[in-house]
Amino acid sequence: MNGYGFRHGARMEWIKLRSLRSTWWLAIAAVVSMAAAGSGVGLGYRSHTPVPTAAQILNNSLGGAVLAQLFLGALGVLVVTGEYGTGTIRSTFAALPRRWIVLAAKVAVSGGAALTVGLAASFAGYLSGQLAIRGTAIPAASLGDPAILRAVVLTGLYLGATALIGVGIGTIVRHSGAAIGTLFGLMFVPMILAGLFGEASIPVGRFVPLLMLLNSIAVTSPVPGLFSGWISSLLMCGYAAVTVLGGGVLLRRRDT
Amino acid sequence: MIELRELTKRYGNQVAVDGLSIRVQPGVVTGFLGPNGSGKSTTMRMILGLDAPDRGEALIGGVRYRDLKWPLTTVGALVEAGAFHPGRSARAHLTALAVSNDIRGSRVEQVLRVVGLSDVATRRAGTYSLGMRQRLGVAVALLGDPAVLLLDEPVNGLDPEGIRWIRDLLRGLAAEGRTVFVSSHLIAEMALTADRLVVIGRGRLLAETTVAELAKSDDSLEDAFFRLTSQAIDYRGGAWMSGSHARRMGAS
Repeated sequence: MNGYGFRHGARMEWIKLRSLRSTWWLAIAAVVSMAAAGSGVGLGYRSHTPVPTAAQILNNSLGGAVLAQLFLGALGVLVVTGEYGTGTIRSTFAALPRRWIVLAAKVAVSGGAALTVGLAASFAGYLSGQLAIRGTAIPAASLGDPAILRAVVLTGLYLGATALIGVGIGTIVRHSGAAIGTLFGLMFVPMILAGLFGEASIPVGRFVPLLMLLNSIAVTSPVPGLFSGWISSLLMCGYAAVTVLGGGVLLRRRDT
Repeated sequence: MIELRELTKRYGNQVAVDGLSIRVQPGVVTGFLGPNGSGKSTTMRMILGLDAPDRGEALIGGVRYRDLKWPLTTVGALVEAGAFHPGRSARAHLTALAVSNDIRGSRVEQVLRVVGLSDVATRRAGTYSLGMRQRLGVAVALLGDPAVLLLDEPVNGLDPEGIRWIRDLLRGLAAEGRTVFVSSHLIAEMALTADRLVVIGRGRLLAETTVAELAKSDDSLEDAFFRLTSQAIDYRGGAWMSGSHARRMGAS
Protein backbone atom coordinates (compact mmCIF):
# COMPACT_ATOMS: atom_id res chain seq x y z
CA MET A 1 0.00 0.00 0.00
CA ASN A 2 1.41 3.38 -1.01
CA GLY A 3 1.58 6.07 1.64
CA TYR A 4 1.35 8.93 -0.83
CA GLY A 5 -1.67 10.14 -2.70
CA PHE A 6 -3.01 12.88 -4.90
CA ARG A 7 -2.34 15.50 -2.22
CA HIS A 8 1.39 14.79 -2.31
CA GLY A 9 1.47 14.90 -6.09
CA ALA A 10 -0.41 18.20 -6.13
CA ARG A 11 1.96 19.82 -3.64
CA MET A 12 4.95 18.65 -5.66
CA GLU A 13 3.47 19.91 -8.94
CA TRP A 14 2.62 23.27 -7.44
CA ILE A 15 6.22 23.81 -6.32
CA LYS A 16 7.50 22.70 -9.71
CA LEU A 17 5.10 24.97 -11.58
CA ARG A 18 5.81 28.13 -9.65
CA SER A 19 9.58 27.62 -9.49
CA LEU A 20 9.98 28.12 -13.24
CA ARG A 21 10.23 31.56 -14.79
CA SER A 22 8.59 30.33 -17.99
CA THR A 23 5.34 29.76 -16.06
CA TRP A 24 5.23 33.40 -14.99
CA TRP A 25 6.21 34.76 -18.40
CA LEU A 26 3.50 32.74 -20.14
CA ALA A 27 0.90 33.81 -17.58
CA ILE A 28 1.88 37.47 -17.92
CA ALA A 29 1.89 37.19 -21.71
CA ALA A 30 -1.64 35.75 -21.65
CA VAL A 31 -2.99 38.60 -19.51
CA VAL A 32 -1.10 41.29 -21.39
CA SER A 33 -2.19 40.02 -24.81
CA MET A 34 -5.85 40.16 -23.80
CA ALA A 35 -5.51 43.56 -22.13
CA ALA A 36 -3.74 44.94 -25.19
CA ALA A 37 -6.35 43.55 -27.57
CA GLY A 38 -9.12 44.95 -25.35
CA SER A 39 -7.74 48.46 -25.26
CA GLY A 40 -6.83 48.32 -28.93
CA VAL A 41 -10.40 47.48 -29.83
CA GLY A 42 -11.80 50.14 -27.51
CA LEU A 43 -9.51 52.85 -28.86
CA GLY A 44 -10.23 51.84 -32.44
CA TYR A 45 -13.96 52.17 -31.93
CA ARG A 46 -13.87 55.50 -30.08
CA SER A 47 -14.52 57.64 -33.10
CA HIS A 48 -16.30 54.96 -35.12
CA THR A 49 -19.58 55.79 -36.86
CA PRO A 50 -22.18 54.53 -36.46
CA VAL A 51 -21.70 54.23 -32.72
CA PRO A 52 -21.04 50.56 -31.95
CA THR A 53 -23.15 48.56 -29.56
CA ALA A 54 -22.00 47.31 -26.15
CA ALA A 55 -22.02 43.76 -27.54
CA GLN A 56 -19.77 44.72 -30.44
CA ILE A 57 -17.20 46.20 -28.08
CA LEU A 58 -17.33 43.21 -25.77
CA ASN A 59 -17.10 40.59 -28.51
CA ASN A 60 -14.10 42.24 -30.05
CA SER A 61 -12.33 43.15 -26.85
CA LEU A 62 -12.19 39.47 -25.88
CA GLY A 63 -10.48 38.69 -29.19
CA GLY A 64 -7.05 38.62 -27.49
CA ALA A 65 -8.03 35.15 -26.29
CA VAL A 66 -6.84 33.84 -29.66
CA LEU A 67 -3.31 34.77 -28.60
CA ALA A 68 -3.76 34.03 -24.90
CA GLN A 69 -4.80 30.45 -25.65
CA LEU A 70 -1.47 29.85 -27.34
CA PHE A 71 0.45 31.01 -24.25
CA LEU A 72 -1.65 28.98 -21.83
CA GLY A 73 -1.72 25.98 -24.16
CA ALA A 74 2.07 26.13 -24.29
CA LEU A 75 2.14 26.37 -20.50
CA GLY A 76 0.12 23.16 -20.26
CA VAL A 77 2.35 21.39 -22.77
CA LEU A 78 5.54 22.42 -20.95
CA VAL A 79 4.28 21.13 -17.60
CA VAL A 80 4.77 17.66 -19.09
CA THR A 81 7.31 17.96 -21.92
CA GLY A 82 9.59 20.19 -19.85
CA GLU A 83 10.14 17.14 -17.67
CA TYR A 84 10.72 14.72 -20.52
CA GLY A 85 13.13 17.06 -22.24
CA THR A 86 15.29 17.48 -19.14
CA GLY A 87 15.00 14.00 -17.61
CA THR A 88 13.18 15.39 -14.57
CA ILE A 89 10.34 12.99 -15.35
CA ARG A 90 12.50 10.15 -13.98
CA SER A 91 12.89 11.89 -10.63
CA THR A 92 9.17 12.54 -10.61
CA PHE A 93 8.19 8.94 -11.32
CA ALA A 94 10.82 7.63 -8.92
CA ALA A 95 9.21 9.78 -6.22
CA LEU A 96 5.65 8.82 -7.18
CA PRO A 97 5.66 5.58 -9.18
CA ARG A 98 1.87 5.61 -9.49
CA ARG A 99 1.84 7.64 -12.66
CA TRP A 100 -1.86 8.39 -12.68
CA ILE A 101 -1.37 10.32 -9.47
CA VAL A 102 1.29 12.45 -11.15
CA LEU A 103 -0.92 13.11 -14.17
CA ALA A 104 -3.95 13.92 -12.02
CA ALA A 105 -1.81 16.31 -9.97
CA LYS A 106 -0.49 18.00 -13.11
CA VAL A 107 -4.03 18.38 -14.45
CA ALA A 108 -5.33 19.83 -11.20
CA VAL A 109 -2.45 22.21 -10.56
CA SER A 110 -1.82 23.47 -14.07
CA GLY A 111 -5.54 23.45 -14.89
CA GLY A 112 -6.30 25.46 -11.76
CA ALA A 113 -3.49 27.88 -12.47
CA ALA A 114 -4.46 28.29 -16.12
CA LEU A 115 -8.12 28.80 -15.20
CA THR A 116 -7.13 31.53 -12.73
CA VAL A 117 -4.85 33.21 -15.24
CA GLY A 118 -7.43 32.73 -17.99
CA LEU A 119 -10.13 34.44 -15.94
CA ALA A 120 -7.73 37.25 -15.04
CA ALA A 121 -6.83 37.65 -18.71
CA SER A 122 -10.46 37.62 -19.78
CA PHE A 123 -11.42 40.26 -17.23
CA ALA A 124 -8.37 42.27 -18.26
CA GLY A 125 -9.57 42.19 -21.88
CA TYR A 126 -13.06 43.25 -20.88
CA LEU A 127 -11.87 45.99 -18.51
CA SER A 128 -9.35 47.53 -20.86
CA GLY A 129 -11.95 47.55 -23.62
CA GLN A 130 -14.36 49.36 -21.32
CA LEU A 131 -11.70 51.80 -20.07
CA ALA A 132 -10.73 52.67 -23.63
CA ILE A 133 -14.26 53.74 -24.57
CA ARG A 134 -14.85 55.87 -21.50
CA GLY A 135 -16.12 59.34 -22.28
CA THR A 136 -17.63 58.33 -25.62
CA ALA A 137 -21.23 57.75 -26.67
CA ILE A 138 -20.61 53.99 -26.78
CA PRO A 139 -22.75 52.27 -24.15
CA ALA A 140 -20.82 50.54 -21.39
CA ALA A 141 -21.15 46.77 -21.04
CA SER A 142 -22.03 45.95 -17.45
CA LEU A 143 -20.95 42.72 -15.78
CA GLY A 144 -24.39 42.85 -14.20
CA ASP A 145 -25.71 41.78 -17.58
CA PRO A 146 -25.73 37.94 -17.52
CA ALA A 147 -24.80 37.72 -21.21
CA ILE A 148 -21.73 39.91 -20.66
CA LEU A 149 -20.63 38.13 -17.49
CA ARG A 150 -21.13 34.75 -19.15
CA ALA A 151 -18.94 35.67 -22.12
CA VAL A 152 -16.14 36.92 -19.87
CA VAL A 153 -16.24 33.90 -17.52
CA LEU A 154 -16.56 31.32 -20.29
CA THR A 155 -13.60 32.83 -22.12
CA GLY A 156 -11.54 32.26 -18.98
CA LEU A 157 -12.84 28.71 -18.80
CA TYR A 158 -11.95 28.14 -22.45
CA LEU A 159 -8.39 29.26 -21.73
CA GLY A 160 -8.13 26.88 -18.78
CA ALA A 161 -9.38 24.01 -20.94
CA THR A 162 -6.81 24.86 -23.63
CA ALA A 163 -4.03 24.44 -21.06
CA LEU A 164 -5.38 20.99 -20.19
CA ILE A 165 -5.50 20.01 -23.85
CA GLY A 166 -1.84 21.06 -23.81
CA VAL A 167 -1.17 18.76 -20.84
CA GLY A 168 -2.83 15.87 -22.68
CA ILE A 169 -0.99 16.45 -25.95
CA GLY A 170 2.27 16.92 -24.04
CA THR A 171 1.76 13.56 -22.33
CA ILE A 172 1.06 11.86 -25.65
CA VAL A 173 3.82 13.51 -27.70
CA ARG A 174 6.44 14.08 -24.92
CA HIS A 175 8.54 16.46 -27.02
CA SER A 176 8.08 20.20 -26.42
CA GLY A 177 8.39 21.42 -30.00
CA ALA A 178 6.31 18.65 -31.51
CA ALA A 179 3.63 18.97 -28.84
CA ILE A 180 3.31 22.74 -29.14
CA GLY A 181 3.21 22.38 -32.94
CA THR A 182 0.49 19.75 -32.66
CA LEU A 183 -1.54 21.92 -30.30
CA PHE A 184 -1.29 25.00 -32.50
CA GLY A 185 -2.09 22.90 -35.56
CA LEU A 186 -5.20 21.50 -33.90
CA MET A 187 -6.27 25.03 -33.02
CA PHE A 188 -5.80 26.67 -36.39
CA VAL A 189 -5.99 24.07 -39.16
CA PRO A 190 -9.63 23.03 -38.54
CA MET A 191 -10.62 26.69 -38.44
CA ILE A 192 -8.89 27.43 -41.71
CA LEU A 193 -10.49 24.37 -43.33
CA ALA A 194 -13.92 25.35 -42.02
CA GLY A 195 -13.35 28.87 -43.28
CA LEU A 196 -12.92 27.54 -46.83
CA PHE A 197 -16.51 26.34 -46.85
CA GLY A 198 -18.11 29.41 -45.29
CA GLU A 199 -21.54 28.96 -43.80
CA ALA A 200 -21.82 25.44 -45.21
CA SER A 201 -19.25 24.33 -42.65
CA ILE A 202 -21.29 25.32 -39.59
CA PRO A 203 -22.51 21.76 -38.79
CA VAL A 204 -18.83 20.81 -38.41
CA GLY A 205 -17.42 24.21 -37.54
CA ARG A 206 -19.43 24.47 -34.36
CA PHE A 207 -17.17 21.73 -32.96
CA VAL A 208 -13.96 23.58 -33.86
CA PRO A 209 -12.31 25.20 -30.79
CA LEU A 210 -11.31 28.54 -32.24
CA LEU A 211 -14.63 29.00 -34.06
CA MET A 212 -16.45 28.20 -30.83
CA LEU A 213 -14.34 30.79 -29.04
CA LEU A 214 -14.94 33.59 -31.53
CA ASN A 215 -18.58 32.85 -32.36
CA SER A 216 -20.09 31.23 -29.31
CA ILE A 217 -18.00 31.57 -26.15
CA ALA A 218 -16.48 35.06 -26.18
CA VAL A 219 -19.64 36.74 -27.51
CA THR A 220 -22.86 37.97 -25.94
CA SER A 221 -25.01 35.79 -28.20
CA PRO A 222 -23.72 32.96 -30.38
CA VAL A 223 -23.77 33.09 -34.16
CA PRO A 224 -26.85 31.17 -35.44
CA GLY A 225 -26.09 27.48 -35.94
CA LEU A 226 -23.45 27.36 -33.24
CA PHE A 227 -23.90 25.87 -29.79
CA SER A 228 -24.59 28.08 -26.80
CA GLY A 229 -21.57 29.39 -24.93
CA TRP A 230 -22.00 26.86 -22.14
CA ILE A 231 -22.25 23.88 -24.51
CA SER A 232 -19.19 25.04 -26.43
CA SER A 233 -17.26 25.43 -23.20
CA LEU A 234 -18.30 21.95 -22.10
CA LEU A 235 -17.12 20.61 -25.45
CA MET A 236 -13.73 22.17 -24.80
CA CYS A 237 -13.60 20.48 -21.40
CA GLY A 238 -14.54 17.24 -23.14
CA TYR A 239 -11.65 17.63 -25.58
CA ALA A 240 -9.34 18.25 -22.64
CA ALA A 241 -10.62 15.11 -20.88
CA VAL A 242 -10.12 12.97 -24.00
CA THR A 243 -6.53 14.11 -24.60
CA VAL A 244 -5.60 13.78 -20.91
CA LEU A 245 -7.12 10.28 -20.68
CA GLY A 246 -5.38 9.29 -23.90
CA GLY A 247 -2.09 10.53 -22.46
CA GLY A 248 -2.77 8.67 -19.22
CA VAL A 249 -3.30 5.35 -21.00
CA LEU A 250 0.03 5.76 -22.83
CA LEU A 251 1.76 6.95 -19.66
CA ARG A 252 0.99 3.71 -17.84
CA ARG A 253 2.36 1.54 -20.60
CA ARG A 254 5.43 3.40 -21.71
CA ASP A 255 8.96 3.29 -20.39
CA THR A 256 10.53 6.57 -19.47
CA MET B 1 18.57 -5.65 -0.12
CA ILE B 2 17.99 -5.62 -3.85
CA GLU B 3 17.04 -8.83 -5.56
CA LEU B 4 16.74 -9.29 -9.31
CA ARG B 5 15.04 -12.43 -10.57
CA GLU B 6 15.49 -13.39 -14.20
CA LEU B 7 15.18 -9.71 -15.11
CA THR B 8 14.83 -9.36 -18.87
CA LYS B 9 14.32 -6.38 -21.16
CA ARG B 10 14.09 -6.32 -24.94
CA TYR B 11 14.01 -3.36 -27.29
CA GLY B 12 12.74 -4.83 -30.53
CA ASN B 13 15.10 -7.66 -31.40
CA GLN B 14 17.82 -6.31 -29.15
CA VAL B 15 18.07 -7.92 -25.72
CA ALA B 16 19.25 -5.21 -23.33
CA VAL B 17 19.05 -7.25 -20.15
CA ASP B 18 18.95 -11.03 -20.36
CA GLY B 19 17.74 -13.13 -17.45
CA LEU B 20 19.70 -11.21 -14.85
CA SER B 21 19.48 -12.70 -11.34
CA ILE B 22 21.52 -11.14 -8.57
CA ARG B 23 21.28 -10.15 -4.92
CA VAL B 24 22.79 -6.92 -3.69
CA GLN B 25 23.54 -7.11 0.03
CA PRO B 26 23.42 -4.35 2.63
CA GLY B 27 26.48 -3.14 4.47
CA VAL B 28 28.83 -3.12 1.49
CA VAL B 29 29.30 -1.11 -1.67
CA THR B 30 28.44 -3.27 -4.66
CA GLY B 31 29.92 -2.13 -7.93
CA PHE B 32 27.89 -2.77 -11.08
CA LEU B 33 30.38 -3.08 -13.88
CA GLY B 34 30.09 -3.53 -17.60
CA PRO B 35 31.14 -1.89 -20.84
CA ASN B 36 29.03 0.87 -22.32
CA GLY B 37 25.74 -0.52 -23.57
CA SER B 38 25.91 -3.64 -21.41
CA GLY B 39 22.52 -2.95 -19.81
CA LYS B 40 23.52 -1.28 -16.55
CA SER B 41 21.31 1.77 -16.92
CA THR B 42 18.38 -0.30 -18.19
CA THR B 43 18.71 -2.54 -15.14
CA MET B 44 18.76 0.50 -12.85
CA ARG B 45 15.66 1.91 -14.53
CA MET B 46 13.82 -1.40 -14.14
CA ILE B 47 14.69 -1.54 -10.43
CA LEU B 48 13.11 1.92 -10.12
CA GLY B 49 10.00 0.93 -12.03
CA LEU B 50 10.77 3.44 -14.79
CA ASP B 51 11.08 0.73 -17.44
CA ALA B 52 8.88 -2.35 -17.32
CA PRO B 53 10.71 -5.69 -17.59
CA ASP B 54 9.57 -8.13 -20.27
CA ARG B 55 10.19 -10.95 -17.86
CA GLY B 56 11.30 -11.40 -14.27
CA GLU B 57 11.17 -8.87 -11.49
CA ALA B 58 13.21 -6.53 -9.36
CA LEU B 59 12.51 -6.48 -5.63
CA ILE B 60 13.67 -4.11 -2.92
CA GLY B 61 13.38 -5.71 0.50
CA GLY B 62 10.99 -8.18 -1.11
CA VAL B 63 8.74 -5.49 -2.60
CA ARG B 64 8.42 -4.14 -6.13
CA TYR B 65 9.38 -0.48 -6.40
CA ARG B 66 5.87 0.66 -7.33
CA ASP B 67 4.50 -0.99 -4.20
CA LEU B 68 6.81 0.86 -1.81
CA LYS B 69 4.96 2.92 0.76
CA TRP B 70 7.26 5.95 0.51
CA PRO B 71 9.67 5.34 -2.38
CA LEU B 72 12.17 8.09 -1.65
CA THR B 73 12.61 7.13 2.00
CA THR B 74 13.33 3.54 0.96
CA VAL B 75 15.41 3.91 -2.20
CA GLY B 76 17.55 6.88 -3.18
CA ALA B 77 18.58 7.01 -6.79
CA LEU B 78 20.87 8.96 -9.06
CA VAL B 79 19.58 7.89 -12.44
CA GLU B 80 21.06 10.32 -14.84
CA ALA B 81 23.48 13.21 -14.54
CA GLY B 82 21.83 16.60 -14.81
CA ALA B 83 18.27 15.34 -14.86
CA PHE B 84 16.96 18.67 -13.66
CA HIS B 85 15.04 21.44 -15.27
CA PRO B 86 17.74 24.02 -16.05
CA GLY B 87 15.38 26.81 -14.99
CA ARG B 88 14.70 25.45 -11.52
CA SER B 89 16.92 26.00 -8.49
CA ALA B 90 18.45 23.12 -6.55
CA ARG B 91 16.38 24.03 -3.52
CA ALA B 92 13.09 24.08 -5.47
CA HIS B 93 13.92 20.75 -7.13
CA LEU B 94 14.69 19.11 -3.79
CA THR B 95 11.70 20.71 -2.06
CA ALA B 96 9.31 19.46 -4.72
CA LEU B 97 10.61 15.92 -4.31
CA ALA B 98 10.56 16.22 -0.51
CA VAL B 99 6.88 17.19 -0.29
CA SER B 100 5.94 14.31 -2.60
CA ASN B 101 7.13 11.83 0.02
CA ASP B 102 6.28 13.77 3.19
CA ILE B 103 9.94 14.50 3.88
CA ARG B 104 10.43 17.45 6.24
CA GLY B 105 11.79 20.66 4.78
CA SER B 106 14.83 20.79 7.08
CA ARG B 107 16.10 17.64 5.35
CA VAL B 108 16.44 19.65 2.12
CA GLU B 109 18.87 22.06 3.81
CA GLN B 110 20.67 19.12 5.38
CA VAL B 111 21.37 17.33 2.09
CA LEU B 112 22.33 20.63 0.45
CA ARG B 113 25.00 20.99 3.15
CA VAL B 114 26.14 17.38 2.78
CA VAL B 115 26.79 17.83 -0.96
CA GLY B 116 28.15 21.35 -0.53
CA LEU B 117 25.50 23.24 -2.53
CA SER B 118 24.03 25.39 0.26
CA ASP B 119 25.56 28.59 -1.08
CA VAL B 120 24.24 28.10 -4.60
CA ALA B 121 20.90 26.52 -3.70
CA THR B 122 18.85 29.39 -5.12
CA ARG B 123 20.71 29.46 -8.41
CA ARG B 124 19.10 27.87 -11.44
CA ALA B 125 20.45 24.37 -12.04
CA GLY B 126 21.22 25.27 -15.65
CA THR B 127 24.07 27.46 -14.42
CA TYR B 128 25.73 24.60 -12.53
CA SER B 129 28.92 22.86 -13.64
CA LEU B 130 28.76 19.15 -14.40
CA GLY B 131 30.28 18.42 -11.00
CA MET B 132 27.66 20.54 -9.20
CA ARG B 133 24.89 18.81 -11.10
CA GLN B 134 26.30 15.47 -10.07
CA ARG B 135 26.28 16.68 -6.46
CA LEU B 136 22.68 17.78 -6.80
CA GLY B 137 21.89 14.28 -8.11
CA VAL B 138 23.52 12.82 -5.02
CA ALA B 139 21.50 15.20 -2.85
CA VAL B 140 18.32 13.86 -4.48
CA ALA B 141 19.42 10.30 -3.71
CA LEU B 142 20.14 11.13 -0.07
CA LEU B 143 16.99 13.19 0.42
CA GLY B 144 14.82 10.50 1.98
CA ASP B 145 17.64 9.04 4.13
CA PRO B 146 17.07 5.73 2.33
CA ALA B 147 18.37 2.30 3.30
CA VAL B 148 19.01 1.47 -0.35
CA LEU B 149 21.05 3.66 -2.71
CA LEU B 150 21.20 3.22 -6.44
CA LEU B 151 23.67 5.36 -8.34
CA ASP B 152 24.22 5.24 -12.07
CA GLU B 153 27.72 6.45 -12.96
CA PRO B 154 28.02 8.91 -10.06
CA VAL B 155 31.66 9.83 -10.73
CA ASN B 156 31.10 10.95 -14.33
CA GLY B 157 32.19 14.54 -14.67
CA LEU B 158 33.63 14.84 -11.19
CA ASP B 159 37.12 16.18 -10.56
CA PRO B 160 39.56 14.10 -8.45
CA GLU B 161 38.38 15.77 -5.28
CA GLY B 162 34.77 15.05 -6.16
CA ILE B 163 35.59 11.43 -6.97
CA ARG B 164 37.22 10.96 -3.59
CA TRP B 165 34.26 12.68 -1.95
CA ILE B 166 31.81 10.26 -3.62
CA ARG B 167 33.99 7.32 -2.69
CA ASP B 168 34.13 8.28 0.99
CA LEU B 169 30.42 9.08 1.01
CA LEU B 170 29.44 5.72 -0.48
CA ARG B 171 31.72 3.76 1.80
CA GLY B 172 30.36 5.67 4.79
CA LEU B 173 26.77 4.95 3.75
CA ALA B 174 27.55 1.24 3.37
CA ALA B 175 29.28 1.21 6.75
CA GLU B 176 26.01 2.45 8.24
CA GLY B 177 24.43 -0.78 7.01
CA ARG B 178 22.84 0.56 3.84
CA THR B 179 22.67 -1.23 0.52
CA VAL B 180 24.78 0.71 -1.98
CA PHE B 181 24.63 -0.31 -5.64
CA VAL B 182 26.84 1.78 -7.94
CA SER B 183 27.23 1.34 -11.66
CA SER B 184 30.37 2.30 -13.50
CA HIS B 185 32.40 1.39 -16.52
CA LEU B 186 35.59 2.41 -14.70
CA ILE B 187 37.09 -0.69 -13.16
CA ALA B 188 39.93 1.22 -11.47
CA GLU B 189 37.47 3.47 -9.67
CA MET B 190 35.31 0.54 -8.62
CA ALA B 191 38.37 -1.25 -7.25
CA LEU B 192 38.77 1.61 -4.77
CA THR B 193 35.11 2.11 -3.93
CA ALA B 194 33.40 -1.25 -4.03
CA ASP B 195 33.68 -4.38 -1.94
CA ARG B 196 31.58 -6.63 -4.10
CA LEU B 197 31.27 -6.58 -7.87
CA VAL B 198 28.56 -7.56 -10.30
CA VAL B 199 29.91 -7.70 -13.84
CA ILE B 200 27.58 -7.83 -16.83
CA GLY B 201 28.11 -7.83 -20.57
CA ARG B 202 25.42 -7.72 -23.22
CA GLY B 203 22.82 -7.84 -20.49
CA ARG B 204 24.06 -11.11 -19.03
CA LEU B 205 25.65 -11.78 -15.69
CA LEU B 206 29.36 -12.49 -16.17
CA ALA B 207 30.52 -12.54 -12.59
CA GLU B 208 29.26 -11.95 -9.10
CA THR B 209 32.39 -11.66 -7.03
CA THR B 210 34.45 -9.50 -4.69
CA VAL B 211 37.16 -7.05 -5.62
CA ALA B 212 39.66 -9.19 -3.68
CA GLU B 213 38.77 -12.39 -5.54
CA LEU B 214 38.82 -10.75 -8.94
CA ALA B 215 42.20 -9.20 -8.23
CA LYS B 216 43.66 -12.61 -7.33
CA SER B 217 42.66 -14.22 -10.60
CA ASP B 218 44.71 -12.11 -13.00
CA ASP B 219 47.61 -9.69 -13.27
CA SER B 220 45.39 -6.70 -12.69
CA LEU B 221 41.75 -5.91 -12.12
CA GLU B 222 41.65 -4.26 -15.48
CA ASP B 223 42.90 -7.41 -17.22
CA ALA B 224 40.37 -9.46 -15.32
CA PHE B 225 37.64 -7.10 -16.40
CA PHE B 226 38.65 -7.26 -20.05
CA ARG B 227 38.87 -11.04 -19.91
CA LEU B 228 35.36 -11.23 -18.48
CA THR B 229 33.78 -8.79 -20.87
CA SER B 230 35.54 -10.11 -23.97
CA GLN B 231 33.86 -13.43 -23.24
CA ALA B 232 30.54 -11.65 -23.44
CA ILE B 233 31.38 -10.60 -26.96
CA ASP B 234 32.72 -14.07 -27.89
CA TYR B 235 29.47 -15.45 -26.66
CA ARG B 236 27.70 -13.43 -29.30
CA GLY B 237 30.17 -14.66 -31.90
CA GLY B 238 29.11 -18.23 -31.28
CA ALA B 239 31.63 -19.43 -28.71
CA TRP B 240 29.00 -20.82 -26.40
CA MET B 241 29.73 -20.48 -22.76
CA SER B 242 27.16 -20.70 -20.04
CA GLY B 243 26.67 -17.88 -17.61
CA SER B 244 27.58 -20.12 -14.72
CA HIS B 245 30.84 -21.07 -16.39
CA ALA B 246 31.72 -17.44 -16.79
CA ARG B 247 30.83 -16.87 -13.20
CA ARG B 248 33.08 -19.73 -12.09
CA MET B 249 35.94 -18.30 -14.05
CA GLY B 250 35.38 -14.90 -12.56
CA ALA B 251 35.35 -16.33 -9.08
CA SER B 252 38.28 -18.71 -9.54
